[in-house]
Amino acid sequence: MIVPILQLELRRSRALVAWLVVVGLAYGGFMTAFYPTIRSNTTLVDQYLKVWPKELLAAFGLEGSLADPGVFFNTYIGSLLWPILASIGAILIATRAAADLDRGWIELPLSTPTPRARYLGASIAAQLVSLAVLAAACVGGVLAVGLLVGAPFEPGHFAIAALLAFAFGCGIASVTTLLSVVTLNRGTAGGLAAGIVIAMYLLEVVAKIEPDLAAIAAFSAFHYLEFAAVIDTGTFPWTDVAVFAGVSIVSWGFAVLVFRGRDLVA
Amino acid sequence: MRNAIELDRLTRSYGRRRGIVDLEVEVHEGEVFGFLGPNGAGKTTTIRVLMGFIRPTSGRATIFGLDAWSDAPRLHRRIAHLGSDPGYLGELTAAELLRHLARLRGFEPAAWRPLAARLDLDPGVPIRKLSRGNRNKVGLVAVFMGHEPLLVLDEPTSALDPLMQREFLRLVAEARADGRTVFLSSHNLPEVERSCDRIGIIRDGRLVEITTVGALLSGHWRSVNLVLGTPPDPGFFDLPNLEVVASSGRDVHLMVRGDVNPFLARIARLDIRDIAITTPDIEDLFLRYYDDQAGAGQLGPTGAPGAPGPPPPTDGRAPARRVAR
Repeated sequence: MIVPILQLELRRSRALVAWLVVVGLAYGGFMTAFYPTIRSNTTLVDQYLKVWPKELLAAFGLEGSLADPGVFFNTYIGSLLWPILASIGAILIATRAAADLDRGWIELPLSTPTPRARYLGASIAAQLVSLAVLAAACVGGVLAVGLLVGAPFEPGHFAIAALLAFAFGCGIASVTTLLSVVTLNRGTAGGLAAGIVIAMYLLEVVAKIEPDLAAIAAFSAFHYLEFAAVIDTGTFPWTDVAVFAGVSIVSWGFAVLVFRGRDLVA
Repeated sequence: MRNAIELDRLTRSYGRRRGIVDLEVEVHEGEVFGFLGPNGAGKTTTIRVLMGFIRPTSGRATIFGLDAWSDAPRLHRRIAHLGSDPGYLGELTAAELLRHLARLRGFEPAAWRPLAARLDLDPGVPIRKLSRGNRNKVGLVAVFMGHEPLLVLDEPTSALDPLMQREFLRLVAEARADGRTVFLSSHNLPEVERSCDRIGIIRDGRLVEITTVGALLSGHWRSVNLVLGTPPDPGFFDLPNLEVVASSGRDVHLMVRGDVNPFLARIARLDIRDIAITTPDIEDLFLRYYDDQAGAGQLGPTGAPGAPGPPPPTDGRAPARRVAR
């Protein structure tokens, strides 16, 4: 019973994921194509970057030399492209329960013997698959282009980075799912989720440029989305992945509980 | 006779907004039960409670003895439901949607095909390109493709053309012949009149009356227009269940309630040039529950205490719809 719902949900996500993958590959590939140029002109690039305020560079996750593969990835992909793509994908897919209630679709599958928990479970499974494809495509695209242009990228390290990227996406999707079934309003849930992501981003930037407030970074998802060490050394980010996994499991679990027990009224 | 549906003082409110109040309904297995009321009366709320989409504020709704809320998934094996405005996914074709629903309900993926052919539904067209009537056909195919013992239909024919409405009535009749129970919410009164064994009338969230269509019609007034050869004698129409609404010489307009035989026996002595006897159809009766808000709780077209007087003269209305026999 879960398979037809999963198949349909994946089909509904297909176009969105495809477009996000295209954007990710285009931007990631384009930036990566310039990586050898950046690397061979390290001194000039570093001099150029000194012109910019430290706070601005921190906001984009640029801490170190762009010639370093980890800093490069963190700057262009980890702190910019991936959060945007993951947020768009996660929010649009995870608010579907509320949207389907609004449009009256949800009554059709829930008029069948499909229990609510299984229905939402299938929807969450579709989120997982969509985010996995998106993370693999974006990170894999950078790796592929990098290898083509001769960048010293380690595929194993990128695999771990993809896992971290996926975990981050799951964190956003799970919280959005919870907001979606609590509010049963796509606009409200999506707006809240986007607001939370932006607030956490600002929190991270403030924590980076103001040492006295460094502790608040712990409340930001971006604090746990650090790719530099992963790409450079292949260190598995156990803590970061565990935080995202914990948030995801708890949020999705609560979402299922709420969805099972609440009135389905738009 | 066992009950398929039992509503026991069922109440559902939306905060301070009224939903339904103290509904007491029993729908017997194998009957077609019409649930009548205008928009906002509480029909859809009742169906949502029955389907387990919303929880009652108080009271209880049971279907086949199981609680409509807590046993919803189990009950849904025995219920086919059609909502009033299902939000189909426009990107799916009718075939894809029906196949999906068939799989969720545990049917063969092609279970919808015979009925789609019968209703002349083109299954290959994306739903967003279908007219509203054809979308309604998709809903009918979805709900009638199985053999669940209970059908819960919320205004299923609102955009169907007359031919399809007739087909819908046939489907309902076939379901009843199979011993299935149908709970049909509608404000399409002729449809209810033609398909239902009993009807419940809901107004402002409260059940006003439950009766059979036959009893509702037979307990009511008939409008009689006579054209006579000569004016009648004064007092000629003095009968207990007869009222003279208007009389102008040879033209007489009367209202007769209940048994028409004494009236027919009386007018047999007259030189009648023309006669039109119309029974108010269910629409007339239904509207009488609504046309006098001040009389709420006192209205009762079957002659209950406080029942209103005869319906207004039918002169100038549509031609006679039914001749009393």
